[in-house]
Amino acid sequence: MKPARFEYHVVRKVDEALALLAEHGDEAKVLAGGQSLVPLLNFGLAAPAHLVDLNRIEDLAYVRRQEGVLHVGAMTRQATLEASGVVARHWPLLIAALKLVAHPQIRNRGTVGGSLAHADPAAELPVAGAALDARFHVRSTRGARTLTWSELFVTHLTTALEPDELLVDIEVPPLPPGTGWAFAEFSRRHGDFGLGGAAALVTADGDVCREVRIALLGAGATPVRATEAERSLAGGRVDERSAAKAGRLAVEGIRPPGDLHGSAEYRRDLIEAMVRRALLDAAARVRR
Amino acid sequence: MGDRLSVTLDINGDPYEREVEPRLLLSDFIRHEAGLTGTHVGCEHGVCGACTVQLDGRPVRSCLMFAAQAEGHRIRTVEALADGVDGALHPLQQAFHESHGLQCGFCTPGFLLSIEPQLADVPDWDDEQIRAALAGNLCRCTGYQDIVTSVRLAAARMQGDEA
Amino acid sequence: MSASAIGQTVETERYSGRAMPRVEDRRLLTGSGAYAADLDLDGQLHMSVVRSDVAHGTIRAIDVSAARQREGVVAVYTAADVPDVRIPVRLLPTEAAKGALQPVLARERVRYVGEPVAVVIATDAYTAEDGARDVRVDVDPLPPVVDPNVATTDDAPVLHAAMGTNCLEAFEVSQGGDVDAIFERAHVVVEERFHVNRHGAVPMEPRGLLARHEPDRPLLTVWGVAKVKHHNRRILAELLSLPLEEIRFVELDVGGGFGARGEFYPEDFLVPWAAMQVGRPVKWVEDRRENLVALNQSREQDWTLEVAADAEGRLLAIRASGLFNQGAYVRTHGAALFPRLMINHLPGPYRWEAFAVRTAPVLTNKTPSGTYRGPGQYEPTFVRERALDMVARELRLDPVELRRRNLVTTEDYPYDSGLTDLQTGLPVLYEDGDFPETLDRLLDHTGYADLRADVNARQAAGELVGLGVAVFVEMGTPGIFEQARVVAEADGTFTVHVGIASIGQGIETVLSQIAADELQVPIEQVRMSYRDTDVIPEGQGAFSSRGTVYGGHAVVGAVHDLKEQALAAAADAGGAFEVPADMAYVRGAVCWEDESGPRSVTLAELGAEGSYRYQPEGGSHTAMGANLGVVSLDPDTGRVQLLRYAVAYELGRAINPLTVRGQIRGGVAQGVAGALFEEFAYSPEGQPLSTSFMDYMMPTAAELPDVDVIIVELGERTSDSPLAGAKGAGEGGIVGTAPTVANAVADALGAGADRALTRLPITPERVHRLCRARERAA
Repeated sequence: MKPARFEYHVVRKVDEALALLAEHGDEAKVLAGGQSLVPLLNFGLAAPAHLVDLNRIEDLAYVRRQEGVLHVGAMTRQATLEASGVVARHWPLLIAALKLVAHPQIRNRGTVGGSLAHADPAAELPVAGAALDARFHVRSTRGARTLTWSELFVTHLTTALEPDELLVDIEVPPLPPGTGWAFAEFSRRHGDFGLGGAAALVTADGDVCREVRIALLGAGATPVRATEAERSLAGGRVDERSAAKAGRLAVEGIRPPGDLHGSAEYRRDLIEAMVRRALLDAAARVRR
Repeated sequence: MGDRLSVTLDINGDPYEREVEPRLLLSDFIRHEAGLTGTHVGCEHGVCGACTVQLDGRPVRSCLMFAAQAEGHRIRTVEALADGVDGALHPLQQAFHESHGLQCGFCTPGFLLSIEPQLADVPDWDDEQIRAALAGNLCRCTGYQDIVTSVRLAAARMQGDEA
Repeated sequence: MSASAIGQTVETERYSGRAMPRVEDRRLLTGSGAYAADLDLDGQLHMSVVRSDVAHGTIRAIDVSAARQREGVVAVYTAADVPDVRIPVRLLPTEAAKGALQPVLARERVRYVGEPVAVVIATDAYTAEDGARDVRVDVDPLPPVVDPNVATTDDAPVLHAAMGTNCLEAFEVSQGGDVDAIFERAHVVVEERFHVNRHGAVPMEPRGLLARHEPDRPLLTVWGVAKVKHHNRRILAELLSLPLEEIRFVELDVGGGFGARGEFYPEDFLVPWAAMQVGRPVKWVEDRRENLVALNQSREQDWTLEVAADAEGRLLAIRASGLFNQGAYVRTHGAALFPRLMINHLPGPYRWEAFAVRTAPVLTNKTPSGTYRGPGQYEPTFVRERALDMVARELRLDPVELRRRNLVTTEDYPYDSGLTDLQTGLPVLYEDGDFPETLDRLLDHTGYADLRADVNARQAAGELVGLGVAVFVEMGTPGIFEQARVVAEADGTFTVHVGIASIGQGIETVLSQIAADELQVPIEQVRMSYRDTDVIPEGQGAFSSRGTVYGGHAVVGAVHDLKEQALAAAADAGGAFEVPADMAYVRGAVCWEDESGPRSVTLAELGAEGSYRYQPEGGSHTAMGANLGVVSLDPDTGRVQLLRYAVAYELGRAINPLTVRGQIRGGVAQGVAGALFEEFAYSPEGQPLSTSFMDYMMPTAAELPDVDVIIVELGERTSDSPLAGAKGAGEGGIVGTAPTVANAVADALGAGADRALTRLPITPERVHRLCRARERAA
């Protein structure tokens, strides 16, 4: 399965990339890690006239913690983020999510920005981003803007990025002390996209939850925050009962897709179970 | 559209300069431009792992990169593992041989290059961890068990060597 | 083993029976193998196949003008350009099949998504694919039919108008007493419908072919062939109207076959034919998307089965009807093979009073089906062994005990199974091996009594764990003959030419072991040669687990002949008419004594050669296996995890236990994958849904268990031949897996789940629902 011809542009600076995107608009696609895009090209499901290779832009690959806030350059390899001691210490949920992303061979090339911009609702990084209330810095020749996660993810494989825009930085706020984390997911094979999953962050004083965040994987066309479920736990404790209840609340009103790998009802059940597991695991981590 | 580029790739320490279309996949460059056919093509969508090579020491899917992207990087393929064409096998290859870790051999180069960088960690892993580490490569012949055995054997020997 | 010459006893290494690493390995490990896609010839062009994306329709027009105009495209061909030929049946050809044979390019109609419609020949693979995208195929869709149960009804669309029906010949066998009467009086009757999922070989290497025509010689060479190259060479000669001697087939390294690769496909005609048209070598490399819709699929069967038993757990009778979804065309195995295999493998290693079974292949608008490891064995075994567990449950009998009570024992030998050997037409007798012994070996090795008790205890404590057992007997159809020729080379090595095929199963090593033993030389001095029809003009290939036995006997015979030739030559050189009594073959030389003392001459110096055609009277081998599996279920997700898996396989003798275990483990992996993961799914419109490795789920190392292999060697040493009693091991691992897994899951879930565990694959979704239902019922 060979890709159709394209005009190939290599850039070394963000501005060069932006200029090309401005010029070619939706006739162009950016090439980041290629782990999502190249299969589409090889299958003939995408055939852009122009491909802008971002891999030589050194300025877009970095992992920094500044005043407690994490900044990740969009071209940072997933494996690099996964190996970051800073991230392991302060945002271990990201590490947990990354370990579920495909296989090391994919993560060695795949980028953080690429996965987010691809916006597959069964992908782990967008869900982690939603749980962490990440913000996304976007640039074009027209200027710069910042999007929240709910603004970024519009629908299945679609973000709010205009054809001339480039995601350049992912910003993750600090987590309060006393926050436990977990990412629970079910897939039929190790490394597959999840059929259903949940990321949970539980901030507690002793046993009492001050804040709970639950983001769902595979619940619909984008990541979903289960706000009802989150509220149900505020001020209470996370135990088998409350976690089970939160699971039930989390899946009320969600519309997961159904396909040959699982019906909507099954996915709903999965997500409910994953919410329950993630909450219990996250709560256990608080105590540690 | 599709004008040819001149690229020079470093494969196993040797330079290969060729005129290629930008869309030429790295896997095809390695196999047909450089003539190193030990890297195999099983799916061209990044799942089977047969095309895995090492890029700057890290295993990657060569079917998901364009040859033009690989310029300036060090590519290592299965042909570099043994000590020359007739020379000593890499301990990992030797272990696969002794433990029957291959049958048709098509997936084998991908497995070798994928697991090789992790061999130092393997002695600390249980079977579940080894199998998870191997999950990025598909095999249709062996059922994987003899591959797990081969990897354990190789790792133990290499650790012994270093001790 | 020793060979004596003039009072000397010479100890030589014995290779047969040794778990030794393979001679094939080095080149494969170092990336020096040469698979079809690895071969390049100067001046070669590339072929890309245009395939139908409609499941059923009438071809109105094919517009190749844009493709032809593309720079780099040398030629484009459609059915109008190629001879109006059909791919013939290789195995058991019948009249019924003739109306449904596949043309090499679609003519007038397309009948499955993936059917070749045109080919584009271009300067490189990328351009060829660009050209293929340029081709416009205009099809008037016709209603498709994908379900064989629907395809057999009167108002179903008929795929091949001349046939008037989609049902290929039905086959019926009725044996023993009055089946209906037996069912009337039976204490227990279990009746169920079963469905086995469409899945298949999916080898890691997609197909590839390279052909070069040299009209001056004249010679047409085709590289990349596999499995049954001698048969296919004959087929190609026929289709091209070329003399057989003008065609040379060369087998390269093969990345797995499993029964699907190596049969004659449209591309096996198109690539050489195109090479003849364009006057340059033509290379074709299949990509994975094509492979998933174009390589033979398999296994899809629908069964209705009734089993009757008495109150003591004695099996009485089977009444069954099975449909096989053949897909859109009859393939090289013909219409007659599957119905007969399905019947032959339904009764199993049990005593029955009677059985009445009817089977039929049915045409539908799906990819054509073919043989896949354990064909017509895996499916009926699933059906029967599931049903037996249901019978055991009805009788409150341990499933193992039920089997024990009904296995044919050595005291019954020779036991007329009531079945007919496909090769000889004679009755199939169970007369070797030992079914109860094989089962007992499995149970002993796994500590069944304790294991069962442990699983029971865990179940009582509320855990969703289960234990399943299945047994099977497998009848091979190993083909009529095999040929070998052994040549003593000038450098002291021996080249063994044999007509088998290598698909990665280790046959080079196994035959080298046998040859080295017979020749009494170190294995390093033996070279296997099997690739080139110029060198081995006759052979049968690799199928039905025949390589070791048939290839091995041919090799043994050839070495025997070599020794005789050598002795005769040595005697002749010494002026004798007969071989003197003291002249003997010893380790590659002929030795004798004369006035000056011990004398010898090497076979290399003699230029000796021996050959042999092994063509036994008998037909199939029967081999028996028993499987055990323990599963753990996760009720939240429905994941089925295999905690334990063991196979006892009675294969006569193991020439190389290392490769035997590898074969069995590989077979188990594929069988478990078929039971739990894989499916070629289709939409009701006949659109394939499993078109990538994301959707066609082959399990990784993380999903599969370790497999304990218990090799049971009961082969009667009826002669000194190292092969005496040997059978094959290529398929034994796969045949019993599906029911083992299903029975274990059923054991975990209880009686309420039995009916739902009659369809494969057993998906996590289904298990999850069954767990939920069980919770609610409790």
